[in-house]
Amino acid sequence: MTVAAGLGYVLISLGPALSLFVSVIAKKPFLILTLLASLLFWLISLIVLSGAWRGFLPLKSASWWPYVILIITSVGFQEATRLIFWKLYKKLEVILDAFAEEKFRSRLSWTDKMQIALAGGLGHGVAHAVFFCLSLLTPSFGPATFFVDRCSHMPFFLVSAIISLGFMIILTFSMVIAFNAYAEGSKLDQIIVPIIHILAAAMTLINLAPGGCTIGVPLLYIIGGAVLRHCWQMVWRKLTEQGNRQRNSSDIHVS
Amino acid sequence: MGRSVLDFLGVEIIGVMSPVSICMLLVVLLVSTLSPSASDSAAAAASATTAATLVYDESPSDPPGRRLAGALLNAAAFVALITVATTLLVVLYYYRFTGFLRNYIRFSAFFVLASMGGSILLSILRAAAFPLDAFSALVLLLNLSAVGVPAVLSPAVPVLLRQAYLVALAVIVAAWFARLPEWTTWTLLLALALYDLAAVLCPRGPLRVLVELASSRDEELPALVYESRPASASVSHAVAALGSVELQPVEPAPPNPTLSNRNVDPDRTSVEIESLEEETSPLVPNEPSSSGDARQQDITAEREREREGERNQDPSSSSSLPWPALESDAFDASRGIRLGLGDFVFYSVLVGRAAMYDLMTVYACYLAIISGLGCTLILLSICRHALPALPISITLGVGFYFLTRLLLEPFVIGASTSLVMF
Repeated sequence: MTVAAGLGYVLISLGPALSLFVSVIAKKPFLILTLLASLLFWLISLIVLSGAWRGFLPLKSASWWPYVILIITSVGFQEATRLIFWKLYKKLEVILDAFAEEKFRSRLSWTDKMQIALAGGLGHGVAHAVFFCLSLLTPSFGPATFFVDRCSHMPFFLVSAIISLGFMIILTFSMVIAFNAYAEGSKLDQIIVPIIHILAAAMTLINLAPGGCTIGVPLLYIIGGAVLRHCWQMVWRKLTEQGNRQRNSSDIHVS
Repeated sequence: MGRSVLDFLGVEIIGVMSPVSICMLLVVLLVSTLSPSASDSAAAAASATTAATLVYDESPSDPPGRRLAGALLNAAAFVALITVATTLLVVLYYYRFTGFLRNYIRFSAFFVLASMGGSILLSILRAAAFPLDAFSALVLLLNLSAVGVPAVLSPAVPVLLRQAYLVALAVIVAAWFARLPEWTTWTLLLALALYDLAAVLCPRGPLRVLVELASSRDEELPALVYESRPASASVSHAVAALGSVELQPVEPAPPNPTLSNRNVDPDRTSVEIESLEEETSPLVPNEPSSSGDARQQDITAEREREREGERNQDPSSSSSLPWPALESDAFDASRGIRLGLGDFVFYSVLVGRAAMYDLMTVYACYLAIISGLGCTLILLSICRHALPALPISITLGVGFYFLTRLLLEPFVIGASTSLVMF
């Protein structure tokens, strides 16, 4: 279609990320750096994956099992990079804590840590949207649009924008869940995050069936909603705990 | 919630990264809006006969071996030219021809803005089919360029304006360079990265001599240099501080002979080469000169005190007692990090070249360059002396370009056109 349509697709896929960026990330330089680092991490993981898969491409689109292998290996590898990212962050956190202790007489608060996790997750989400959706959008600024056979209800660009928005939500907030789980050592959440990721990726497999995107995309958004809800519950729990602790400490102080 | 470390850490890095990002974004927009139009292909072909293609004029029909050899020759000739020009600049600066250099840079900045900027403006107007009569276009252009002349030179201009003009200069030159033929661009970038490495780090490298000379004379670096002001100070405050520095009799007005004298070729293509010597200005940590000049230290301290005073008046920040310490031991408080305009130009050339292939390569190259810049800045805070900003970023950028083009693109397109994502 035209520039308006192209911009619309961009805003569908990246609009929420943009508002998150402006409202939370952009004010704190360190979070921007975290975001960039996480973007770079995700890009490197994708390049390594594509290097490994280079010999087998292009996949024959008739059969679906190569895609299953593709998704399992990719998600497995990306979860591994998430672990590496966490390990690196853990090292950095020690330095940060020391620095904060020295300069501000206080360590990083849990909200700080959560913001860092959010920035890291947003980096993954934005990288996903950028490479899977935004970089294919160039033709949509031109005079035509493009439909794929298996999903003929909507233009391809619109479908990919909607899917990448879903993934943006899932990747961003599952990073918050994962970081919290690693920090608290709760095994359940640590396992849940890869499962969510692989489930979400499996939902896009439904798109391979003719007309499958009418089922796959809503299912993806259900997963996204579940992630959001889980993340919110976790944050809420921490908030109330923190509030109680502060009230307790102030009670002690008063008495 | 009080202030936390997150608010302060990396302010300086972002202060450098954001103008670089803006510059790259503008170049990508320029390249992608201007290059597809057929009317420009003739202009591109004409402009390709610049000094960077002195030796060999690349044409896509040539066999790869010949193109590679020609591109290498071009890069070698170009680097040789730059070396000569930089040496000349150092010699002129050494013998204190600052007045001459200053006037030369004035002329060059005006020339770049008016002629090259004018031609870019023209093609933008043409691409947008915007009806503008010649007279008002001329008035607009001359005014814009005329303001640019004092803006790049004199520190009395508001810092934002100065930064904007420096970025605009970089964008113009980079958009010009992005029209070079493909192979020449890549070899040229790599050669420049190597040159930068040698010129800044070798004991007798011209840039190193220049930086040491400038710091021993306690003057501004004689080149077009982007200075990131401390983001914590408000703009007006930064301006005030700047003005007060320049009123000190200690510092003569910065000579800035970036566009060094190389009037050998009279045609205008020489100008763009000359503006390249901005490349001369490497990344410089702005530490007070170690030659123990007490006055400089005094100024810094004074300014710090002044700023502290201001901060104490500000109720929201009065709690941050250790803040000045934080600022001054991590970086010099008086000024931000300085980055040569040539680095801006060549980062943008890389991204602009990537934009001619696909958007995916643009994102990859952008990330690579920014992370390279981040690495350089981290190294800078460890080494505390001038570092070349090109090598890490350009190497990463070129590497990521080809990785993306050869590996990533078929993979991602194959997966996402069948709507399988992960």
